[in-house]
Amino acid sequence: MMKLSKGIILLVVTSMVFFSAGCAKRGVTSVEEVTPPAAQPTQEELTMPEAEMPEVEEEVAVEPMLTTPSFEEEMATFEQNMIFFEFDKFSLNPESRKTLAEQASFLNSNPEVKLRIEGHCDERGTLEYNLALGERRAKSAQDYLVFLGINPDRISIISYGEERPFDPNHTEDAWTKNRRAQFDILGK
Amino acid sequence: MKKKVWLLLLLCIFSTSPALAARLDIHIQARGFTKLKVAMPYFTGPADLTSGIWTMCAKDLAVSGVFEVLNPQSYINPGPVSTIAQGTLKDWALIGADYIITGNVSRLSDMVTLDIQIIEVASAKFIDRKTYSTSAQTIHTAVHAFMDTFLDKSLGLNEMFSSKIIAVRQQNGKKQIGSFWCDGVGWQEVKGLGDLVLNPAWSKDTKKVAFVSYWRDNPDLYLLDLTTNKVELLSGRKGINSTPAFHPSGSMIACTLSINGNPEIYFLDLKSKNIQQITKSWATDTSPSFSPDGKYMAFCSDRCGTPQIYLMDLKDRKVQRLTFQGRYNTEPTFSPRGDMVAFSNSTNGIYQIALIRTDGSQMTVLPGTGKGDESPTFSPDGRLIAFASSDGNIYVTDLVGSKPVRITNGNGVYSEPSWSLITK
Repeated sequence: MMKLSKGIILLVVTSMVFFSAGCAKRGVTSVEEVTPPAAQPTQEELTMPEAEMPEVEEEVAVEPMLTTPSFEEEMATFEQNMIFFEFDKFSLNPESRKTLAEQASFLNSNPEVKLRIEGHCDERGTLEYNLALGERRAKSAQDYLVFLGINPDRISIISYGEERPFDPNHTEDAWTKNRRAQFDILGK
Repeated sequence: MKKKVWLLLLLCIFSTSPALAARLDIHIQARGFTKLKVAMPYFTGPADLTSGIWTMCAKDLAVSGVFEVLNPQSYINPGPVSTIAQGTLKDWALIGADYIITGNVSRLSDMVTLDIQIIEVASAKFIDRKTYSTSAQTIHTAVHAFMDTFLDKSLGLNEMFSSKIIAVRQQNGKKQIGSFWCDGVGWQEVKGLGDLVLNPAWSKDTKKVAFVSYWRDNPDLYLLDLTTNKVELLSGRKGINSTPAFHPSGSMIACTLSINGNPEIYFLDLKSKNIQQITKSWATDTSPSFSPDGKYMAFCSDRCGTPQIYLMDLKDRKVQRLTFQGRYNTEPTFSPRGDMVAFSNSTNGIYQIALIRTDGSQMTVLPGTGKGDESPTFSPDGRLIAFASSDGNIYVTDLVGSKPVRITNGNGVYSEPSWSLITK
């Protein structure tokens, strides 16, 4: 008689453990999945599982997508973004259009921001023609932003021709970096 | 006989059709003509003065484009000489001299006198015997005066050393405009125009200078009156306001404005400041330059896909393309003689000064410095061209490809020269 009671209590307790464990989990654990314990449940397994659950904020590594960059950081990124052009050209390549889409995204999220687009050339080519070419590069960027829905009143442009190189060296690499349009937020 | 007729016919077709004729033009690497040789022994006089003055004279002879100074070491008697001794002309003829110049410098307190004698070897005659007096601070005026006399008496050429070149000098990251005599002497900078000043242009009477400044944080056009020292804003429109060029009448400038969406050429009345749009194309149109009679305008446009030089008849605004060689032809400037246009040509990435006649024929590329030449400007008589090289110096060259003579001395990076005769 005593042996039988002990066995029933054991079974009930075991079931309780497994049922509680099933509720604590996110998924539904059906009765059929509860397997009879191979060994005696330890003292730890009998305690409430919730007490052992870690706080998500403290122990899980912070994923970037879960934090929001500050406005200052977004502004900095916006002004660091540049688009580049082929020699003697002012047309936008796919990478430029992608960058401009990112710029438009920031601008749409921050409707009070006004900007000036600067158009630049590398040192090759003649000075007067480069002043005009820089203007056309800035205008290309402006036109595309307007196409993406930005109010043209928010955008002004300026050409610096070949006067303000990003990289003052006289190499192909420097020239590639200098044939650019860059974005300046006004009234920071 | 029939074969010859056909050949002749074919030649005629090719030579009269401007486009085809241009394509047949050989890319001429011009050779220089032999220059007149000048023997100029070192001048006699105070040691602290003679060397500098002799050097200035030698440089001016080189800048003139027609003389070559024979190395004094090659003279039979290389020492300083103030006059040519009787019976020694054959010694000078022996070394190939066409002219002999001797000079004696003397100083009296603040005044310097330069006694110059010029002998033409072939005729054994003096073509100049004169004393030029000047203050110690303006010695160059004596040298310029004697050089102009020499050019006139030897070759009947117009005065050249009374002309000045206006240019941009970059120093410590700033660009300023200034002017010097056409041999590079006496740089005077204009202050107070901002830190980035570009595109200077003289009026024909050299009393006014138009230029671009970023003073208001935008490329704007200004006018400086050299007699009153006053500056006024000509155009501060949105976008670029650039490349001013005075019309010979002095009442109007042509310039580049992008106010209508892309860079176009406009005329701007200097009194009313009203503008009139002259070019209308989807392309970049820039760098206008008027013919000396004011009836034509050369300019640069990429309306055919690459930047080329065009000529507009201002009577009917008809445009004719001038350049067909090379994928990059920019910065045209009209010769004061009205018969040709100089511009910057790029072939295989090398920038050189080139010339073309106003009917589109005889395109000539000048070898120049070989380092990258741009911004050509003609001398007042159209005989020479000054230009800027990518080494930061300004050079003077002739129209037949002689080795350019450097006129700047490396104390800054110079660009955008514009040459004009100073009217007295």
